Amino acid sequence: MAQPQSIAATPAPAPAPDPALIAAWQEGDEQAAAELVRRHTRALARFLAGAGAPEADLEDLVQEAFIRAFRAVNRFRGQCQFRTWLLTIGGNVLKDHGRRAARHKVVPLDDSLTARDGNPHERAEAGEAEARLAVGVGELPRLQREVFLLRAQQGLEYDEIAAALDTTEGAARVHYHHAVKRLKEMLQ
Amino acid sequence: MSEDAKFHDGNLHDAKLHEAARRLGSAAAERVDVERIAVAVVEQLRREPAGATRPGWIQPAWLRIAAALLLLMGGGLVVRQMDGPKAAHDAHFVTDDLTDLSADELRDVFNTLDETLDLGNTTLPEGDLEDLDPQQLRAVLRSLEG
Repeated sequence: MAQPQSIAATPAPAPAPDPALIAAWQEGDEQAAAELVRRHTRALARFLAGAGAPEADLEDLVQEAFIRAFRAVNRFRGQCQFRTWLLTIGGNVLKDHGRRAARHKVVPLDDSLTARDGNPHERAEAGEAEARLAVGVGELPRLQREVFLLRAQQGLEYDEIAAALDTTEGAARVHYHHAVKRLKEMLQ
Repeated sequence: MSEDAKFHDGNLHDAKLHEAARRLGSAAAERVDVERIAVAVVEQLRREPAGATRPGWIQPAWLRIAAALLLLMGGGLVVRQMDGPKAAHDAHFVTDDLTDLSADELRDVFNTLDETLDLGNTTLPEGDLEDLDPQQLRAVLRSLEG
């Protein structure tokens, strides 16, 4: 008697991990590069906007960060995740943009906090807290700002942050706690 | 406020801070056109492959530094050239070189000078030139130089 065959749905193919896509790009696969961009653009844009990037320049900054990352990908040794490494490159891109803006006397205006979905009252409250936080984050020293965003906004562990910023886990913790302390003082 | 209340207040504050931090930049990030960026990145990589980029030392900043150094060195050389009378140096070198000459060689030099210069009242010492010490030789030469 024939055994009933179990009919299992064909599982969707697992998405290729970042290292595989990086290797494919290094072999000349442009679609692998495009996939990496699709995968990490929102996180990078959020990080840059949180660090004070003007919304009008956000897409350009994201693009520049990806270009720099792909050009330097041979130097990426997998000491941290590709996304974390990309975010630190984004931090450098934003720093250079700030210098150029200062030279050309451009005052960045971020209107990213004005549009929200949901209840208008909650939106206004959340928007206010976020706006104040954005100002506070903008006033932090660069390292504290990056550690704070990588930890609080991106949810990364200290060892991952330390590896990306080429510092120690203890130093990352200290930077984070200084940042939180200063932000609390600013927000009170 | 009790310690317990302070603790809860602190936690609440932390929670609000983290909640706001998680939302930070989200709205702007949502408005970013991911597909457009993906296409633009791939096109730019295709247009300017990694090998086509200039090495670090040819970057404009390094070139500017190199040009500035070159200007400084060139300027320093010019200033050195202009500093101090050149003729005095030459005279000094002539007298130093002549002290190394033998008596016969010195005689030849004086004979040559006699032919080319009008010595006027200058009198050469009666004795042998070999008997002159370097100081006396210098005095003779200075009188010849006028």
